[in-house]
Amino acid sequence: MKKVNLILSGFFVLFLISCTDDFNEINEQPNALSADDVSAKFFVTNLQTGLFAPNRYPYWRGPVIHVDRYAGHTAFGFSANWWSDGLGYDYSAGYTGAVYGYMSGYNSQLTAFSNFVKPGGTLENEQYYAISLIMKGLYYQMYSDTFGMVPFSESSNPDITNPKYDSHKEIYSGIISGLDEAISIIGSNSTTGTGPEVLTDNDLFFNGDLQKWKGLANSLKLRIALRANGAPGEDFSAKAASEALSSGVLGDTDALIKRDLEISTWSSAVYGDIWHAFYGGGHWNLAATMVDILRDNNDPRLYKYAVPSKGGTVTIKKPTEGENVALIDKHIAFLKDHFDESGAEYTMTETAEDVTITMPDNANYVGFPTRTNARPKPYLHTDFFSKPADVIVNPKNSGKPIFPWIVMSAGDTHLMAAEAIVKGLASGDAESHYKTGIRHAMKLWEVDDAEIDAYLSTDMGTLSGSTEKQLEKIATQRWLANYTNGYEGWAIVRDSGYPSELYEGVSDRDIYALGTTLNGAYPQRMRYGGGAYNSNGDNLEAALSVQGPDVQGTKLWWAK
Amino acid sequence: MKVNKNNKLLLVLLLLVSGFTFAQQTISGLVTDEAGVPLPGATVVVNQTNNGTTTDFDGNFSISASDGQSISISFVGYQTLSIVVGDGADYNVSLQPDSLLDEVVVTALGLSREKKSLGYSVSEISGDNINTVKDHNIASSLTGKIAGVNITQSGSIGSGSRITIRGNNSIGGNTQALIVVDGVPINADGIDSGGSVYNSQVTGGGITDINPNDVESISVLKGPNAAALYGSRAGNGVILITTKKGSKSDRLGVTLNTNVTFDDPMFLPEYQNQYGQGSLGAAGTDLVNDWYTGSWGQRLDGSSQLYFNGQQRSYSGQPDNVSDFFRTAMRAITSVSLDKGSESGSVRFSYTNNSTESILPNSDLESHNFNLRGTAQLSDKLSIDSKATYFTQNVNNRASLGGEGVLAYVYTMPRNVDVNDLMDYQMANPSTPAEFGVISYDKRGSTTGNPYWMLMHDRNDERRGRFLGFTKINYEFNDWLSAFVRLGSDITDIKRGSIEKPGHHFYPDGRMSKSQSTSTELNSEFLITAKKDITDKLDLVFNAGGNLSKRTSEGLGISGRNFKIPTRFFISNLNEINPPSERPQAIKKVNSLYGALNLSYDDFLYLDVTARNDWSSTLGEENRSYLYNSASLSALLNRFIDPSQEVFNLIKLRASWAQVGNDTSPYQLYQTFSVPGQGYLGLTTLGSPSVKLNPDLLPETVTSTEFGLELSALENRLTFDISIYDMSTIDLIFNVPVPPATGFSFFKENVGKVQNKGVEINLGGTPIKTSNFSWNTSVFFAKNENTLVELIDDLESITYNTTNSGNASIRATVGGGLGDIYGTVWDTDDSGNNIVNANGLPIASSSLEILGNANPDWLGGWSNSFSFGDLSFSFLIDARIGGQIYSQTSAGLDSSGVSERSLLYRDSGVTLNGTNTETNSANTVPITSQQYWGSYSSIAENYIYDQDNIRLREFALGYRLPGLDEIGLQSATLQLIGRNLFFFSKSAEDIDPEAMLGTALGAQGFTSNALPTLRSVGFNVTLNF
Repeated sequence: MKKVNLILSGFFVLFLISCTDDFNEINEQPNALSADDVSAKFFVTNLQTGLFAPNRYPYWRGPVIHVDRYAGHTAFGFSANWWSDGLGYDYSAGYTGAVYGYMSGYNSQLTAFSNFVKPGGTLENEQYYAISLIMKGLYYQMYSDTFGMVPFSESSNPDITNPKYDSHKEIYSGIISGLDEAISIIGSNSTTGTGPEVLTDNDLFFNGDLQKWKGLANSLKLRIALRANGAPGEDFSAKAASEALSSGVLGDTDALIKRDLEISTWSSAVYGDIWHAFYGGGHWNLAATMVDILRDNNDPRLYKYAVPSKGGTVTIKKPTEGENVALIDKHIAFLKDHFDESGAEYTMTETAEDVTITMPDNANYVGFPTRTNARPKPYLHTDFFSKPADVIVNPKNSGKPIFPWIVMSAGDTHLMAAEAIVKGLASGDAESHYKTGIRHAMKLWEVDDAEIDAYLSTDMGTLSGSTEKQLEKIATQRWLANYTNGYEGWAIVRDSGYPSELYEGVSDRDIYALGTTLNGAYPQRMRYGGGAYNSNGDNLEAALSVQGPDVQGTKLWWAK
Repeated sequence: MKVNKNNKLLLVLLLLVSGFTFAQQTISGLVTDEAGVPLPGATVVVNQTNNGTTTDFDGNFSISASDGQSISISFVGYQTLSIVVGDGADYNVSLQPDSLLDEVVVTALGLSREKKSLGYSVSEISGDNINTVKDHNIASSLTGKIAGVNITQSGSIGSGSRITIRGNNSIGGNTQALIVVDGVPINADGIDSGGSVYNSQVTGGGITDINPNDVESISVLKGPNAAALYGSRAGNGVILITTKKGSKSDRLGVTLNTNVTFDDPMFLPEYQNQYGQGSLGAAGTDLVNDWYTGSWGQRLDGSSQLYFNGQQRSYSGQPDNVSDFFRTAMRAITSVSLDKGSESGSVRFSYTNNSTESILPNSDLESHNFNLRGTAQLSDKLSIDSKATYFTQNVNNRASLGGEGVLAYVYTMPRNVDVNDLMDYQMANPSTPAEFGVISYDKRGSTTGNPYWMLMHDRNDERRGRFLGFTKINYEFNDWLSAFVRLGSDITDIKRGSIEKPGHHFYPDGRMSKSQSTSTELNSEFLITAKKDITDKLDLVFNAGGNLSKRTSEGLGISGRNFKIPTRFFISNLNEINPPSERPQAIKKVNSLYGALNLSYDDFLYLDVTARNDWSSTLGEENRSYLYNSASLSALLNRFIDPSQEVFNLIKLRASWAQVGNDTSPYQLYQTFSVPGQGYLGLTTLGSPSVKLNPDLLPETVTSTEFGLELSALENRLTFDISIYDMSTIDLIFNVPVPPATGFSFFKENVGKVQNKGVEINLGGTPIKTSNFSWNTSVFFAKNENTLVELIDDLESITYNTTNSGNASIRATVGGGLGDIYGTVWDTDDSGNNIVNANGLPIASSSLEILGNANPDWLGGWSNSFSFGDLSFSFLIDARIGGQIYSQTSAGLDSSGVSERSLLYRDSGVTLNGTNTETNSANTVPITSQQYWGSYSSIAENYIYDQDNIRLREFALGYRLPGLDEIGLQSATLQLIGRNLFFFSKSAEDIDPEAMLGTALGAQGFTSNALPTLRSVGFNVTLNF
């Protein structure tokens, strides 16, 4: 009895002493840091890669499936390709949603950072706050250029769970105000502070050089101004463009995301992660528009951007059943015309049953026709067409270099300066900026000076002709300079209407994918993801009533 | 088992008297049931001695006893009878069945209660009920047997089941029932509940680790009313498992049981056998480029074609290629148990071996279960009950479900591919990466998986070891006061590994991963019980107790890719090793104090009141302590309505109200930052969380009201039980999706309200009962209606899961329910006509429309057992009616052109009726059947099936053989058993509507390349020595 009483009372005591004393302690996560442990600089890297070098999921669905193809930089739909006809032109809720999810979701990263460093924040620091404003500008330009109206003025405020959508114009002028604030904060500062606050290698763009950040802010301001120029009700572009140029844009510095050659594809992806992942079913070729413009102008970047068609011999058996029986002659003619227009060296022999095509190895640069559908797909063998250069698609962990992501290049900046001058928004020597822009753009791809000089002496290397012709040349050069950044390349086409063959769209459904609702027209935007309807639907509906229906064909405020 | 008090006194007196006489003698007798049928295996014990025996096959026994001693004769399901030995005593006895009125059931905290006194619904089934048609997962054997319990599974071997009782109560947290074994809750952490639309793997854990052979009985506490004493773990109901103890007989009991069944697919999709591999109506011609995965080629004409493996093959149909891929799988569960005891204690040991093959090649499961249970009466007041169970299981190649699961490459295999050709899945002696590439039915170096490669060549294993044990020390202070302390522990160790060898269709360089995790649950509790008869009529039982619960989980994983030497597979042979993922030990503690007061008045009115206070470490200081109460009342009205029991033996009305809680996981309160394993360019980088945490989080509150009526009539030959309930949960802890513009993706909040309302009806009886034939039958019907009543302003729904293409998703919608199925439909124009695009193809709606809900409207079960002398026969039919499921399996069959359905429009093509959006007039653009099915299959509404099905779930035909004294065999039972024999009706094509993608909430109402449902036939042999 005594023993038992002892056991029982022991138990009660156990109860009393155990209480809840350690409850707070055990509910503290051992493998995480609190705000006291951290410095603002550690957040800068992910702020940059999160937007421009995300993991494979959005990388694949964003650049590879959608925007690089919309930009006319790349194309796929070859015979052994995975994708169904018209992928990207046909609407896919899942693929579109992935891009929307990544881009809208980036705001949480940005906001967390800016709330830390803003006045009164846990890690208050004015210079970092300026950086957050510039990142915010880069983000909203890319985000709103992809989808259109998005929440801006009421965003980043945790107390507003249902922020309203702002018009594109409001977003653009808001970005400019933010950039102005950042430019004024930075002033003549060059570093972010002292001790642990000093930003160096965590800044992938400029190693912490604030004056370069200021240059980036001005380049972005110029980009925004040019894009807005001429849009309905726009009244700020002339002022913004001239201010940016006089305050100092990125003259000879590129803002790039240097690639981590080892990082897991689930942290940050490169094209090669996708290229080498799955035996080539997800490969792509260079688009015909891109190859044609490079080749026809003897542009030395052709050999930097692309590798020649691999070549070989393929026998195409003519269909004996199915709808392609009626179309085979048209398809063969299409292929032949395309090879001929590309100046390709090849032979084609046709019998009643089949067609044999032989192309010499690595002899031709032939682009892949844009927006083809499933009908000609069996005859479009990928080895007849140019593929991206190795430096673009090299795998990680191979010891081989991988081309960086272009955030803002000196080349594009000079071309923009030329555009601003031609459009009468600023004064200066447009021709000189044009040539300097091309030179920088080519240098970025390690083109020899001699080849650059030769190119600059051609018609394409000279800013001549009517104003419209000059604007076409500038747009084309900007479009070329942004190769591998389809987001910007696509925006340039929508804004300028050049390259015009791309902008015109397609119409022949025997060959081309007209798209679910585009009916052949050039894609003007991507649709909002499902999350936008679910969690802030009323404000989205209000935005659609201003912007137009949520389809790919709806033109954005600044579009041509 | 109530013994009259006066008789008890008499017995004691007699015993005292008998102490003076020692005339030892052998007595013998015959034990029969109330109808005179001999009862073999009845226990006969001389009271207060170690002397005992059991009746033989003919019901006879003989035993040594002295005059004046008493013997007790007992048999499961019958009232125990005592006889005093002496002249004139008649040892030929007939036992009376336990009266329903005195039925005792196990309730919360393991307390045994008279069922009639309960004011809430509890269902109990015996161990035999799950041990005849046996599955290594007890949950499978519960399906269709208990009203209100909804069980779905995901099909692969060693996978767990989803068990919900009376619907889903929580939108984000756990909604599955708590499993309690011998009074000790077991850990359900660390279980992968699957649900990925790409690769869904469901691991075992929880109930799957309990050995069916050790189960004595299972009690189901349906919802908070019955489970209130479990406090914050009671919200979803509790499954109480009571395991076997040794008998008190001093005879060594040995039981051998073998259960062997053979599994085959119950059914497979209907395939077409007219067209072969190809596209646009033509077979491919080029080995490298032209072989397609779809069966959209020309008519199978027997012509000689160059196949994917470089061989010439006849281009002809292979009608059985899918069924040939599966094998007949044997599962054998064998157990041996030994037990012996005396009045002062007992011991039982059992060992069970489970060897289960999957119908997939090279996929199997092996487990061993050791169980030792001992009880001892240490003094006249002190007793101990202790158990230790060790369970170890090895699962080899558990198949993944989903779009990239192994069956994705089996079901849609081209109709002309001989499955045997796929066995050569890699070149002999490969040297270059290209040569290592998998050979699948489209080509070498394919991105199409080869199912044989995936099962024979890759590796995927899981080893789990689990210790479950408890010690309970009970002390009887006096005749009205007792107390026990119980320490229970549950420790699970899981090691998982997977290897994809170089050349794999998705990971050409190869990759591997290994992980180890440990989870534990320790419970220390005490309970004091006081029983007092306050007056003649008013009896009182008071229980007060407390529990300290500590749950931990931790893990470590390492993975990498690209093998240095591509023929051996271990971590250090990897070129790229990812930083290890570390999950340091996470601890959750819950302290509880509780009390229960049971009052009974005059054996007809019963009142229970409970209160429990929990302190949870997962909540902030202000909110961590919370008190819940429950009350229930039951009244036996038969005394007033039918006092002489002419018709009714029992008329009981019951009502109860209960409130319980639901806390959360560790680390849900304060914002932190984590260092990613791999900083960019080797830099130290930090990211910010996407969930805004909430230091003011409150526990969820579940409130439930239940009413019931129980009737028993015609000498208990007919029973009826109805329950209606209304249960709602508020303050749901949830990551509320917010517009990312707020700076977060989610706010962690207490929001919303979920309601479950339902009715359960049980009807049972013994329609026929003669001296040599009886028929017992019972049928239940259970309907539950689940509604998400409210969420938060401006948030209409939560999405749990979405297909890769985004065409269907599983959601919870306000006004709808948890598990609503949304998907695309064929879009229409303003006047309601279907619309097609310029190419003549259907346009899917851009928004997803509601297409159904994953939860059935009602479930029903009909159990029957017949006994005819030594023969017995039983069967179970169950029904699942209402509820829908999206079958991605079917969409895949159609888009790849293998289904019989896909023959439509093959030769002719079709011009769809509808408005062409290009011309804005009636469509005139023809499309091929390949295009038609390509578009059709992407529209979700076409693959929503009703879950309605009625099937013969179980049957058993048994024969009891005479014992064989020469070898000491007391009895032997041989049973022929079967499961899932056939459907009486089924709405869904291709699939079993119960085979969900996983056991997670978001995996319900969604099936994707699940294993075929198994039809099992076999035998069960039990030998008692």
